[in-house]
Amino acid sequence: MGKLSKLLSVRPEVGPAILLVLLIVVFTSINPKFLSILNISNTLAFTVELGLIALAMTLLMTSGEFDLSVGSLFGLTPVIMWALFNGTDIPLELAFLCAIAIAVFIGLVNGWFVTYLKIPSFLVTLGMLLVARGTALYITDGFPQRTWNASGEWLSGFLVGDIQIGALRLYMSLFWFILVAVLLHYTLQKTKMGNWIQASGGNADAARARGVRVDATKIKLFVLSSALAGFAGVISSIRTSAANPNSGTGYELEVIAMVVIGGTALMGGRGTIVGTVIGIFILRLMRNGIVMIGVPGLAYNIFIGAIILGMMALHSWLDRRNQSRG
Amino acid sequence: MSELLVQMDNVSKSYGPVDALGGVNLKVYRGEVVGLLGDNGAGKSTLIKVLSGAVKATGGTISIKGKTVEMNSTTDAIDHGIETIYQDSALVTQLSIARNLFLGREPIKGSKFLGRLDEDKMAAVASELLKEVGISKDIPPTTPISALSGGERQAVAIARAMHFESDLIILDEPTNNLGVAETQGVLQFVRNAKASGHSCIFIAHNIHHVFQVVDRIVVMRRGAIVADDIDPKTTTVEAVERIITGMDS
Ligand SMILES: Nc1ncnc2c1ncn2[C@@H]1O[C@H](COP(=O)(O)OP(=O)(O)OP(=O)(O)O)[C@@H](O)[C@H]1O
Ligand SMILES: [Mg+2]
Repeated sequence: MGKLSKLLSVRPEVGPAILLVLLIVVFTSINPKFLSILNISNTLAFTVELGLIALAMTLLMTSGEFDLSVGSLFGLTPVIMWALFNGTDIPLELAFLCAIAIAVFIGLVNGWFVTYLKIPSFLVTLGMLLVARGTALYITDGFPQRTWNASGEWLSGFLVGDIQIGALRLYMSLFWFILVAVLLHYTLQKTKMGNWIQASGGNADAARARGVRVDATKIKLFVLSSALAGFAGVISSIRTSAANPNSGTGYELEVIAMVVIGGTALMGGRGTIVGTVIGIFILRLMRNGIVMIGVPGLAYNIFIGAIILGMMALHSWLDRRNQSRG
Repeated sequence: MSELLVQMDNVSKSYGPVDALGGVNLKVYRGEVVGLLGDNGAGKSTLIKVLSGAVKATGGTISIKGKTVEMNSTTDAIDHGIETIYQDSALVTQLSIARNLFLGREPIKGSKFLGRLDEDKMAAVASELLKEVGISKDIPPTTPISALSGGERQAVAIARAMHFESDLIILDEPTNNLGVAETQGVLQFVRNAKASGHSCIFIAHNIHHVFQVVDRIVVMRRGAIVADDIDPKTTTVEAVERIITGMDS
């Protein structure tokens, strides 16, 4: 037991990995179709859209902050892009860049409120959640923007085009997800920036005293979070052929759940991209598997809530074990 | 006498109506260990906070090696070669020893843009430093600070101060909450730091600890320095206690 607890605290992603394997075994033994190619490719398609947001959230939470406005940006960014494209004669590429620039700006505003005005990120991003969602609803009168005229555009193929490998259909978005996951994993674990992110979340005063630019680090991460949420929203709008001003509602909590289940500390200082990737799959497989084994879909939240509580209990137990050695 | 390192002239600090420091003069020479004593609330921490850039003085000047300097932040102080070690606050407990040693001054391997940490170099220097400050146990530099004892944490903070060539290391009550062996360890680190040419200001409530390592004792009372040249070799603990409590006059 001592060995296992040591492993779990040094590698916080081991706990969720065990859980993921257990889930796959249980679901497959109840319904063997669970691991079918069709089911895998369906699951992957949505997974990466939420997953992109969770990857950025991992870094932000490691730095000790979080972002509740990501679901609203997921809705707002594609609405801006398609409203510009449909309503004016600017090309799609430019509309895309404008929309992402607005997402970046929103991230800057979030970061500025949190670091400069020293308002907790919970309150700042809650406010931004309402502002961004309200803006999306206001500029569309609540109606979805059409995006099917995107089919001829190279950009839409570049962002979400699909590749058929036998029976397995893979979307370009999976490639984006893998790329971002590798980059952010490298950044967090191997670079100076990653060291600063962990130090900012672990002990901001000590980090500042050593010359770490804590505020600049956090602002960058707020920008990353908004930009990737917007990017994910654009991908989703092309895949589903609609930019709905309501889409992404409630995603912020699901994303935070993915990150926390993966072993990133809610209070900052410790985070793992590998854990988050596992957390993403745990939540998506749960949603998918519960339906496939015949549990009513409405019961989904009971299981997610129980897993979150279980993971938090595990990590707090590990932290207390470590502290008592100190 | 050796080179004058730090000179504080008529430095004052008030917190609203409270005068925590009322015009203090203090000199520290190179290679000297100064013990700073005084009762609770005498102003010791305030004095070193001003010197380490953590709070801004209300009046007076600070010169380092003869040049007047502005201390607006702890980074300013570190840039001027002044390192401060508190019981806990100076380290990030989630990060490893090596990463704490180099926090804010990380060595980079390859392109600056990619910013990849040179972990081999960090580990090598860290092991070397841990030996230098006299950590006898074999602790790998990848160990997180959270797994270290209080004394070992002090040792890491001192090692960092020594590595970055700080001239003056300030220790504010570094032996609080430490056991006998660990306290001896910290005192030994102070001797090692002195031996390698660093100056120290050492604050502790236990006068016996102070007597074991310092060259000179400075006593503060109610925001003022009341004695600044007590030689621990020729003075008794009791005499110093009388000065601290104000029973000498
Ligand atoms: N942030 C602050 N705001 C208001 N007053 C303060 C503040 N910090 C210190 N003081 C006051 O300044 C005086 C000196 O405090 P200081 O912490 O320097 O004492 P000290 O000598 O370090 O005492 P101790 O031995 O208890 O650590 C005290 O009267 C204290 O109440
Ligand atoms: Mg004090």
